[in-house]
Amino acid sequence: MEIFEVLQTLNAAHGPSGDEGDVREAIAALARPWADEVRTDTMGNLIVRRKGSGPRVLFAAHMDSIGFIVTHIEKEGFLRVGRLGGIAPKEAAYTPVCFKNGVRGVFVPEEKADFAKLKLDECYLDIGAVDEEEARSMVRVGDTAVYQSPAFQNNGKVISPYLDNRISCAVLLAALEGLGECRNDLYFVFTAQEEVGLRGARTAAWAVDPDWAVAVDVTDVDDTPGSEKSGTVRLGKGAAIKVMDSSVICHPQVVWKLEELAQSQDIPFQKDIMRGGGTDAGAIHTTRLGVRTGGVSIPCRYVHTPVETADLSDAEACVRLVRAFARAGLEEL
Amino acid sequence: MNYDKVLARLCALPGPSGFEGPVAEAAEELLRPLVDQVSVDRMGSVVGVRRCGRDNAKKLLLDAHLDEIGFVITGHEEGFLRFAPLGGVDPRMLPDRELTLLTDPPRMGVVACLPPHIQTREDMDKSQSIKELYIDVGLSQEEAERLIPVGTPAVYRTGCAPLGEELLCGKALDDRACFAVLLDALERLSGEELDVDLYILGSTQEETHSTGAITAAYGIVPDLCAAVDVTHGDSPDASKDKTFPLGKGPVIGVGPNCTRWLSTRLEHKAKELDLPCQVEVMAGHSGTNGWPLQVSREGVATAVLSLPLRYMHTPIETVHRRDLEDTAALLAAFVRGIGKEAEDRA
Amino acid sequence: MLDLLNQLCALDGVSGDEDRVRAFIRKKARPWAHSIRTDALGNLIVFKRGGKPAENKVMLCAHMDEVGVIVTKITDEGVLKFDFVGGVDRRVAMGKSVVLGDNRVPGIIGLKAIHLVSREEEKQVPKTDSLYIDIGAGNREAAQALVQPGTYGAFAGAPEALGSNLLKAKAIDDRVGCAVMLELLKEDLPLDVTFAFTAQEEVGTRGAFGAAFSVTPEIALVLETTTAADLPGVEGHRRVCAPGKGPVISYMDGAAIYDRSLFETLRDLAEEYQIPWQTKEYISGGNDARTIQRTRAGVRVAALSAAVRYLHAPASVGSTTDFQDMLRLTRLFLERVAEGL
Repeated sequence: MEIFEVLQTLNAAHGPSGDEGDVREAIAALARPWADEVRTDTMGNLIVRRKGSGPRVLFAAHMDSIGFIVTHIEKEGFLRVGRLGGIAPKEAAYTPVCFKNGVRGVFVPEEKADFAKLKLDECYLDIGAVDEEEARSMVRVGDTAVYQSPAFQNNGKVISPYLDNRISCAVLLAALEGLGECRNDLYFVFTAQEEVGLRGARTAAWAVDPDWAVAVDVTDVDDTPGSEKSGTVRLGKGAAIKVMDSSVICHPQVVWKLEELAQSQDIPFQKDIMRGGGTDAGAIHTTRLGVRTGGVSIPCRYVHTPVETADLSDAEACVRLVRAFARAGLEEL
Repeated sequence: MNYDKVLARLCALPGPSGFEGPVAEAAEELLRPLVDQVSVDRMGSVVGVRRCGRDNAKKLLLDAHLDEIGFVITGHEEGFLRFAPLGGVDPRMLPDRELTLLTDPPRMGVVACLPPHIQTREDMDKSQSIKELYIDVGLSQEEAERLIPVGTPAVYRTGCAPLGEELLCGKALDDRACFAVLLDALERLSGEELDVDLYILGSTQEETHSTGAITAAYGIVPDLCAAVDVTHGDSPDASKDKTFPLGKGPVIGVGPNCTRWLSTRLEHKAKELDLPCQVEVMAGHSGTNGWPLQVSREGVATAVLSLPLRYMHTPIETVHRRDLEDTAALLAAFVRGIGKEAEDRA
Repeated sequence: MLDLLNQLCALDGVSGDEDRVRAFIRKKARPWAHSIRTDALGNLIVFKRGGKPAENKVMLCAHMDEVGVIVTKITDEGVLKFDFVGGVDRRVAMGKSVVLGDNRVPGIIGLKAIHLVSREEEKQVPKTDSLYIDIGAGNREAAQALVQPGTYGAFAGAPEALGSNLLKAKAIDDRVGCAVMLELLKEDLPLDVTFAFTAQEEVGTRGAFGAAFSVTPEIALVLETTTAADLPGVEGHRRVCAPGKGPVISYMDGAAIYDRSLFETLRDLAEEYQIPWQTKEYISGGNDARTIQRTRAGVRVAALSAAVRYLHAPASVGSTTDFQDMLRLTRLFLERVAEGL
C-alpha cells in the first residue's frame, strides 16, 4: 500500500465524528484481505483482528475527522452549523465543504463579525440555495459536512485536509499489510468519535481488554516561524514516540520498548510531548485495571486546518515502528 | 508513627506524576508490616490489604496519592532546557529555583532568571509563565541533548523538615503526609479485630488524570472508600472563607461527592473522641480522587477527609503535627465497626 | 400524569439530597415493579417484566435531582454563605426564595437594595461568594439552630398553570421524565424494561455511571428536558427549540452524538402517528446519555425531551401537550423495540 494513495481513498470517503460510515467501509475493504476478523461495534469502531496466542496488543487510530453538522436552515437558504470536534472558525473560514450526498458549499463568516474573535454562531454554510425551500430539498438538519480541498505532494511532504487522522489509518493499514507471522494477538482498531472526546476508544478498549496499546495519531510540531514551542518534534525527523500529551502520561515500559525497537532496527525517531490536545491513548490507559499505553505519532503542521502538512518519510518510519512493536516479544517485559 | 522520619524519607524521594517508582518502593516497604499483602500494580500504585477474616465482609478502600507535581523536559536551547509542567505547577515558585533532573544519576539544575541589574521595575512586577523559562544545567547543547533527553522528568530539589515546634514543611506533603496518616491509622488499628477488608491504596497520577485510583478501584471493587487528601490551609494573604486554619483538626468533606452517612459518621466519631474537626462543603467535584472513585463500576459510597496544608503545590508545603495525629485517630475510629453500620444501612 | 408531575415538582431533591423524591417514586413504583433497589449512588432501579423478554435489553432513564444551593458557612451575623449545586445562572437566583433542609426553613437570597448600588457596581453581577441567604436569624447561634454547613436548599415555588397549556414550576427538569416513567410503569409493557431514576445528574451525570454499569442495557432512552430559547430578540439559529411544538428528538447535543437509527426510529414514529415533534436547532447541553453511551462496550442511546424555557431556574415553563406527547411517543417506541428494530 502506498500511503499517499490510501490517503486519497480515505479522504474521498465521508467520515466526520458520529457519521463515519463511508470511511469505515473504505478502511474495512483495505483491511479485509489481511485480517482474521473484522467487526463493527456499537459506537461504530472498526475492529480488525490478527489472531495470535501471545499478549493482546491494541493499535488505535481514529478514523473520524472534524467537520460541521447542520443545526438550522435560514429563510434565505443559508445553513447554520454546530462543530464536530475542534473546528476553529478562523482556521476554517472560506473553505469549501461537501456533504455525504454530494452537495457542496463554503463555510463563511458573517460580514459584521469581528474576525479576531470569530465565533461559530457568526458563521454559516452557503450551499447556493435561493431560499429555505430549496435548501431543504438539498440537505436536512443533522446532516454533516467536511472540508473539501485537494491533497497533493510537494517535495516529500503531503498537504491535505484530514491528515488528522487519515494518515494514521493509512499507517496502520500499511503496517497490517506487511506484518507476516506474529505471536501477539493483534487488534487494529479504527476508532469513532475521537475528535468529540475520545469516545469510541473508551468502549473499544473495554471490549478488547488489551495488555498493551499504542495510539497512532498526528502530533504538533515546533518547526515553523513564530511557533510557540508547544511541541517537541519536527517534520522529517522520524516517528514521534509519545512521552505524554494532555490526556495521558505514557507507560514508561512502552516508551522504552518503542525506543529500543527504533534504535535496534534503525528507524528514525524523536520523542514527543504534545502539550495541547489529547489522543485515544487518554481513553485507553485508564480502562479496567489499566493498560500499558503509548503513542506513535506523525508530526504534522497546521493541525485541523484544510492544509495539514506532514512528511511521508515520517509516516513510513511509523509504519516500520508499528510493525516492530506488533512483532515484539512482549511477554518478558 | 514518627512523622518526622517517615516524611523526611518519603518527601525526599522523587515521584512526579507518571514516574512514582522510587516513592512506590518506599511506600510498599512501609506498608508491608501493617498488612497481609502488598504489591505494586500495573499502573504503579501500591495496594495493600488487611483482611478481617469474615465471610462476605465489605471492602473499605483508603486512598492517598503518592505522586507530586513536577516537570518534564521538552527541548534544548544553547545548552539550557525547556520544560513543561506535570500537574498544576505554580509558576511563581520557579525563578532561580533548584530542581533535580531525574537522569541516572540525577543532576541538579537551576531555573534561569535575569538579574535585577538589567531589568526595569516594570519587568520585575510581571510574573513569568513556564513557557518563557529555561533550566540551567551547566552543560553544552550537545551534552544537554545527550545526557538529559526530551521526556526526562524533574522535581523540586528539597525534602521535608520541621518548621518551628509544630509544623512540617517540604515538597510533596500533598499527598505523602496523608499516606503517612494512613500508615498511622493502620498502626492504631493493629491487633484489633476489624469487620471490613481494609485496602490501602498509594495511588499514582492523581495530579494529572487520577489514573492510579481509577484502575486500582476497578480491580478492588470496594463497597466504601475514603479519599484522604489535602485542602487549603490558611495563610495571611488568603481569604478566610476559602481556607482552613492549621492545628484545628482534619476537614470532613460534605456535598454530592461525599456520601451523607459517611460524612455524618466522621463527624460523630470526631465528637465521640473529642477530636477537633472542620467541615468543607463542596457543591460538586471535590478536587480529589474521591470524584472518580465514587463512580467506579456500580458506584461506591465515598468519603473525603482532608488535611489542611498551606502553600499547596509549592516546595514549601506546610502541615501541622497535631492535624496529622488527629486525622489518623479519626480515620482509625472511622474504620472500627464500619462494616456493621454499612450492613445496617443495606 | 399532570397531577403526578405537579406532585413531583413540589418535592425538593437537590443533587445529593434526593431522598424525598426517591421515597415518593419508590412508593408509586413498588406496586408495579418486579424488582426495585437503591444503589450506592442513590439511583432507584426498577425492573418490570413485559409481554416478552426483549431481544435488546432496554433501559429508560430520567434523573430525580434538581439544581439548587448548599450552605457553606454561617456568618457571625446569622446569615448563610452558599454555593450553587449544578449549573445556575446567578442572575436568576438573586432575590429568590429557597427552602432549606428537612425542616423546610424558608430563606431568601439577599443582596443590598438598588438605591445603595453605585453606577459601577450595577454593571456587574455579584459573584456567588458575595451573595448570601437570609433566614431571619439574628446571629450565628440562632442560625445554627435551624441549619448547618452542608444543608441543601431548593428553590421555592409551587407548580401552577400558565396561560394556555403551559406549566410554570421548578424542577420540570427532570421530574417530567420521572412522571413519564411512572405512568408507563402502571401499564402493561410490550417487553421487559428497566427504569433507572438516577441521582446527581446535575453535578455531572454521576448516577448514570453506576446505573448503566449494573443494568448493562443495549438500548437506552433518556427522558429529559432541554433548553428552549424562543424569545424575541434571539436569532433563529440560537432558539434551539420551543414549547408547544412537540417533544424534542435529538440527533446530537454538547455531550453525545445519539444513535442515528434510534433517532430516525423516533422521528418516523412521530410522523407515522402524527405526533408533533421538533429537533434541537443548536448544539448545547448534555444529559445522562453521554455517560450511558460510553459504559463498558458501548450502549445505543437516544434522547426524548420536553422543550422548557428558563431551565435551571425557579420558574421554568413547559407545555403540557408536549409532556403528554412525550409519553405517547415513548410508549410507541417501546412497542417498536418489542417488534424488533
